[in-house]
Amino acid sequence: MSAVAMGVISLIFLWGFNDGVHNTMMRNLQEVIVGSIQIHAKGFFRKPSLQDTLEDVPSLLELLDRMHVQRVAPRLRAFALAAGRETSEGLVVLGVDPRLERTVTRLQEKLDRGRYLEEMDRASCILGQTTARNLGVDVGDEIVLLTEDRYHVLAAEKFRVIGIIASGEMGIDRGLAIIPIRFMQAWLDMGQQISGLVLQLPPERLEAVTAALRQHLDQRFEVLRWYDMYPMMKQWVELENGFYYIFLSIVLVIVAAGIANTVLMSMLDRIHEFGVMMALGCSRLRLAGMIVLESVLLGVAGMAAGCLAGLALVSWFGRHGIDLSAQMDTVSRFYVDPVVHTQIDTDHLLVTLGAVLLAAALAAIWPAVRVARLQPVEAMRHV
Amino acid sequence: MAIIHAHRLRKTYPSGSTHVVALDDVSFDVQQGDFVVIAGRSGSGKTTLLNMLGALDRPDSGTLKVAGQDLLSMGEAERANFRLWHIGFVFQAYNLIRVLTARENVAYVLQLQGKPSRERLKAADAWLAEVGLEGMGDRRPDQMSGGQQQRVAVARALAMSPSLVLADEPTANLDTHTGGELIRLMRRINEKNGTTFVIASHDPAVIDAAHTLIVMQDGRIEQSVCRD
Ligand SMILES: Nc1ncnc2c1ncn2[C@@H]1O[C@H](COP(=O)(O)OP(=O)(O)OP(=O)(O)O)[C@@H](O)[C@H]1O
Ligand SMILES: [Mg+2]
Repeated sequence: MSAVAMGVISLIFLWGFNDGVHNTMMRNLQEVIVGSIQIHAKGFFRKPSLQDTLEDVPSLLELLDRMHVQRVAPRLRAFALAAGRETSEGLVVLGVDPRLERTVTRLQEKLDRGRYLEEMDRASCILGQTTARNLGVDVGDEIVLLTEDRYHVLAAEKFRVIGIIASGEMGIDRGLAIIPIRFMQAWLDMGQQISGLVLQLPPERLEAVTAALRQHLDQRFEVLRWYDMYPMMKQWVELENGFYYIFLSIVLVIVAAGIANTVLMSMLDRIHEFGVMMALGCSRLRLAGMIVLESVLLGVAGMAAGCLAGLALVSWFGRHGIDLSAQMDTVSRFYVDPVVHTQIDTDHLLVTLGAVLLAAALAAIWPAVRVARLQPVEAMRHV
Repeated sequence: MAIIHAHRLRKTYPSGSTHVVALDDVSFDVQQGDFVVIAGRSGSGKTTLLNMLGALDRPDSGTLKVAGQDLLSMGEAERANFRLWHIGFVFQAYNLIRVLTARENVAYVLQLQGKPSRERLKAADAWLAEVGLEGMGDRRPDQMSGGQQQRVAVARALAMSPSLVLADEPTANLDTHTGGELIRLMRRINEKNGTTFVIASHDPAVIDAAHTLIVMQDGRIEQSVCRD
C-alpha cells in the first residue's frame, strides 16, 4: 500500500511540476504578445498586408461583449525599414492602443529601460533590445521609420525611442517596433481601420469562444487560437506529456508489481482458509473475485493516501513555488519562469488515478487465477 | 430413508511406483437422522471416505448418492453448490476464517447462500447461543479456546441447514473433557433437530456416542454396528 502511495505521490508531483511549467509557458506566450485568440481578415496571418483590414469592427466588438469577452485590444500592423544612428533594419511595426493593450498583454513587464506607451504619446516607439543595439540607439534617441501608407505612397516619420524591451524572446527583442495605434492610423491614412483584434481568455474558455466566433463570423474573417499561429509550443508540451505517459506506465508497472507481491503473499498465507471456504461451498469464481476486489481496495487505499499527500505537495509548491533560478538562465527565453508554481490538470490527475486502479486490478489476476485453481482438500492441508 | 447410499467406492492414490488403496470396495447406507461414527486406525481411509461424502473428492469407481443426488455425475461448480446447500463441515482444526469474528464466521455461509444481512446475523447469534457461545459473537478465533472454536464450526455447519453434517476428527485437538462436551453437544442437536451426523474419529468418547459405528481397516469396512 505504501508503494502505491509513494508511486501516486511521485506521479502527482511530477505531473504538478510538468503542468505547472507547461501552463506557465503557454500563458506567458499568450500574455506577452500573442494573446489567446486573434481575429483578422481571412488570410492575414499567413500573408499580412496593411490593406487587409478587419471589417465590421463595431459589430464584432458588440459580439465579443455579448460573449462576455472583456479583454480585447485592436492592433495595426505594417512592415517598415527603420533607420537608426548607424544602420537600418527591416521590422514589423505594431500599432497598439496603450490602454487596451495593457488589459490583454503584459508587454510592459518586459521593459528593460525607459517607459511603456501612454495614451498621450504620438511619435513614440518601443524597441526590442536587439534591434536597439543593431540600430545603435537607446532611450531618448530618434529613429526614422520608412514604409508605405494605405495607398502605397511612401511615408517616413521620426519616432522617439521611449522604452526598450528585453523579453528573452527573439521574435520580440528583434524586428519589432511598437507605436501608438492612433498615431499610426493617422500617419498611414488608415482612418479607423485596424489589422485585427487580440483577445485574452482563461484557458478553459478558449475552445468554446473560438468555436462560437467561428460559427458567428463569415468567410471574411479568420479566428486563430494562439497555437494555430504558433504551434511549436503546444507540440512541445504534447511531446513532453508523451514522455510523462511513458514514465507513468513505468511507475505503474512498479506499482502493479508491488501490489501483486502483497496480494500474493497474503494469498499464500491464507491457502488453508481458502480451502475451508471452498469446502463450505464458496465457488472458485467468487473466491477469485474476492482476491481482485482486495487488490483494488488496496490500490484505492494507497491511491487515496498518495493522492492526498500528492495534491497537498502540489498545492503547497503551487503557492510557494520552486525556485530554479540558480539552475536555469537560458531557458527563460522559452517563457519558463524561474520559479515554478506546480499545478495539475484534472485530466492528468484522472488518467493517473484510473491507471493505478487498473494496475491494481491487473496485478490481482495472477494471484486470483492461482486461488481459483486450488483443490479444497489439498488447500486445507496447508497450515 | 437413506440419505447416503454408497456402493463399491474405490479410491487409490499413486505412491512412488505403486499406489495406495485408500478405499477398497466400500458400500454402506446411512439413514436420515442417524449419528454415525467412522472409526479405525490412522491411515484406514476415514478422511478419504468423508471427503467423498462431502463432494470434496471423487472415487475412482463406484456409485455414491447423497441427499438424493448423484455426486459422481456433478461438475466442479455443481459440487460447490451442493456443498453449500447440503453439507455442513467440521474439520479437525483451523476451521475458522481468522479475520472474521465468531458471528461473521457463522454468517459467512449464510451470505454465500444469499441470505439477507439482517437474517444472517440473527441466525448466527441464535446458533452461537445454541452451541453455548452466547455473547461471544464478537470474538475472533484467536480470542477463543480450541473447544470454543470447534463449537463455532458446529454452529456454522448447522446454520447452513444442511442435509448432513460431516466432522473429521472434531475432538482430536481438544482435551478429553472439552472433546466430550463437544460430542455431547452434537449428539444433543442430532436428537433435538434430527440432523444427520457422520463423524470420523478414533476418540473413545466419540465412539461411545455413536448410534451407528462403522469400523474401517485398510480401506475396507471391517464392521458396522447399529445400537438400538
Ligand atoms: N492425497 C493423498 N495422496 C497420497 N496418499 C494419500 C492421500 N490422502 C490419503 N492418502 C493415503 O490414503 C490412506 C488413507 O488415508 P486417510 O487420510 O483417509 O486415513 P485416515 O483414516 O483419515 O487417517 P488419520 O486417522 O490419520 O486421519 C493412507 O494410507 C494415506 O496415506
Ligand atoms: Mg484423517
